[in-house]
Amino acid sequence: MLPENAVNIKVRIKFSKTGSLKFISHLDLQRTMQSSFLRSKLPIYYSEGFNPHPKVVFSPPLSVGVSSLTEFVDVKMLAEVSHEEIAEKLNASFPKGLHAHACYTPTAKFSDIKWGLYEIKYELTGDIPTDICEKAKAALTAEEIIVEKFSKKTGAKTVNIAGGIRFCSAELEGSVLTVCAKLSCDEAAFVNPKYVSETLAAAMPTVFEGAEEEVCRMEVYLADGETLFE
Amino acid sequence: MKIPESILKKVEKPGRYTGGEWGEVIKDPKDVDIRFAFCFPDTYEIGMSNLGIRILYSILNERADTWCERAYAPWADMEEQMRLHNLPLCTVESGTPLAECDFVGFSLQYELCYTNMLNMLNLAGIELESAKRANDAPIIVCGGPCTYNSEPVADFVDICLIGEGEDELPELMEIYKKHKAAGFDRAAFLREVSRQESMYVPSLYDVEYNEDGTIKSFTPKYEDVPAKVRKRIVKDMDKAPFPKNLVMPFIQTVQDRIVLEVYRGCIRGCRFCQAGMVYRPVREKSPEVLDEQARILADATGYSELSLSSLSISDYSCIERLTDMLLSWTDDRKISLNLPSLRVDSFTKELMDKISTIRTGGITFAPEAGTQRLRDVINKNVEKADLLRACRVAFEGGKSQVKLYFMQGLPTETDEDLDGINDLAQSVIDEFYATPGRPKKAPQVTLSAACFIPKPFTPFQWEKQCDMEELLRKQKYLTGKITNRKIRYNYHDAKVSRIEAIFARGDRKLCRVLLEAAKRGVRLDGWEEFFDYDKWMEIFEYCGIDPAFYANREFGEDEILPWDNIDIGVTKEFLLRERHKAYSEKTTPNCRLQCSGCGANKLGGERTCCPKMQ
Repeated sequence: MLPENAVNIKVRIKFSKTGSLKFISHLDLQRTMQSSFLRSKLPIYYSEGFNPHPKVVFSPPLSVGVSSLTEFVDVKMLAEVSHEEIAEKLNASFPKGLHAHACYTPTAKFSDIKWGLYEIKYELTGDIPTDICEKAKAALTAEEIIVEKFSKKTGAKTVNIAGGIRFCSAELEGSVLTVCAKLSCDEAAFVNPKYVSETLAAAMPTVFEGAEEEVCRMEVYLADGETLFE
Repeated sequence: MKIPESILKKVEKPGRYTGGEWGEVIKDPKDVDIRFAFCFPDTYEIGMSNLGIRILYSILNERADTWCERAYAPWADMEEQMRLHNLPLCTVESGTPLAECDFVGFSLQYELCYTNMLNMLNLAGIELESAKRANDAPIIVCGGPCTYNSEPVADFVDICLIGEGEDELPELMEIYKKHKAAGFDRAAFLREVSRQESMYVPSLYDVEYNEDGTIKSFTPKYEDVPAKVRKRIVKDMDKAPFPKNLVMPFIQTVQDRIVLEVYRGCIRGCRFCQAGMVYRPVREKSPEVLDEQARILADATGYSELSLSSLSISDYSCIERLTDMLLSWTDDRKISLNLPSLRVDSFTKELMDKISTIRTGGITFAPEAGTQRLRDVINKNVEKADLLRACRVAFEGGKSQVKLYFMQGLPTETDEDLDGINDLAQSVIDEFYATPGRPKKAPQVTLSAACFIPKPFTPFQWEKQCDMEELLRKQKYLTGKITNRKIRYNYHDAKVSRIEAIFARGDRKLCRVLLEAAKRGVRLDGWEEFFDYDKWMEIFEYCGIDPAFYANREFGEDEILPWDNIDIGVTKEFLLRERHKAYSEKTTPNCRLQCSGCGANKLGGERTCCPKMQ
């Protein structure tokens, strides 16, 4: 319950989660945010009770090991603070790896996020086929892309995820292959970026063996996969 | 050298290894003379909770010439990866191999972490035995409660810092700097260190044994090396350095909150308790200083919980004033206040209303023994009526669950005393039903029993631990007696307690056992999934050492004890007096009521409670 007559201003914070922060689970991200909020001394609305905690809502969680340039968290402010000041104070309180890019009044709901643009870089160690980019494109644009999904409830099952992958580009520079693709963030058809790696590895056995990979969520989109979510 | 991401992706909780936390100290190696790797010989989650390391990390890093970094024992999955890929153990901050540091320091908090220390040295590629280390190898230094008897690790450690490290560590850095500038000679450096107050260099002493395995003599190898090493204390706690910044772990740790150290020492003098003796004399911080420090830490950390820390918080002479001062601002800052270690004789409705963790959490008391007779033997100075009164306050405040801590296997304990544990639990249940304002649910009393472990520097240091058979019998005895389903009973693993007892009163002969254990890959002994008692027994057998000599033997009162070369302030005569009083079931009043002449007041100190010092 908000105190009566309290100012209650919703603010959305767009932030990135990179560096060592990518190895932090969603739960630990929440704890890190909470201490950052307290350090910033911003008038953020806290729940009542014995253990008050900030009332915040996060955009859909990332897998551990994946970095992101577009994460969102919604908070409520109990006093008017300029959006610039909020970002400034948060950045002064964030550990390195967290950075607030913008603060604004939210319009869209997090459930409107349906697509994410991922950049996956592979540092290849073995022989690289000359047509690796074409082969990557072919693998990721096939009509049927079958992967095994595991869930605790149903166990392993094979799923066609072709509808949840929109291939964008594949480029080779030296020994680094960079693949960009939009992947479904829809709850029912969510495509984890690791399936892209699995699909590529299946299409080109041995090429990806021992490759270091770096995954980054670049942008998120509405249902059309074109309009940026803000 | 940072750990490759491909490896971080394969292990559990990679946040243990990445560093980059808020508050970590990063320096340019070119700007410093001394690199110090501060190790905690257990996992990150436990090590990050240690207040002592946080204090010393900040003291060392305040020096412009020193960069102190952290290192922890890797979990088994990470260790496997490190060994597979030949990755040496590195510091968290910069990924510098421990072997390249000037100092590798260990905080030894409990005996079960000895194997972790050796495993960490091994993972770092550092020679385990100090005698085999090259001139330019890191100096291995250790501190913490286990160093009061560091003889079981004497062969591995170059320097033990006895007592409180706030002043000792910077002094050690100064000496090192001087030697480094003059062309470092390890032997000359250690020799000079051994002459400093509170710095114990085990390699500079010879130990001879009698035929029965007890110590015949303990002598310095050189005339200028002192025969006795006295522990160091911080005399004025108000002026003691305290960390103005804390490293904020990303992942959840055991003590994930601001820990405000209220005072050191304890006025009580429970006869089994090592902390109560080795941290004497009591030295308090004033409430004004504590309030100021709490505010600084709240600003710097963003923690939402503040815990007052000491051996028995309600014995703090200004507890009312301190809690009032803190509560005047903590609510506004969304910080909840936490008071651990409450004694039953000080548990009041006022405290219960004030402290949020008491309002929300369970209630725990530690009567330690089931009968008044045995509580008098251990000098607990708590009566059944106190316990029942405290429980009534809790029940009136809406609690229905109480947890009670006990020890089994205490000196002079009989089955009657064990029955007393059950009787006490039953009385608490009866008290619940006799409380008019009790909550409308069934009460529950949880009994948690630990095994008595005789510890150095306690009145019970000469006592034996019951043998395994008897420990197990005592544990089971009570299982058979408890029929009320509102009483839950659980107990510690007696095998773990026995290993602790062996090393707690160990001498240098045990170094060989630890070395063999390290060879066989023993580590993470504090973790149920890795602790292997049978393996330990095989190692003792292989080394030709009888563990019962240490755990299950009554030490002679005129025997030279392995830790006799350390002077903690409290005298051996006092400990003996207390031992004899225990056997005649006589209690000793707490320090505030009357001075019992323990000897610790010769160390000095401000805001103590010792009547002789005021």
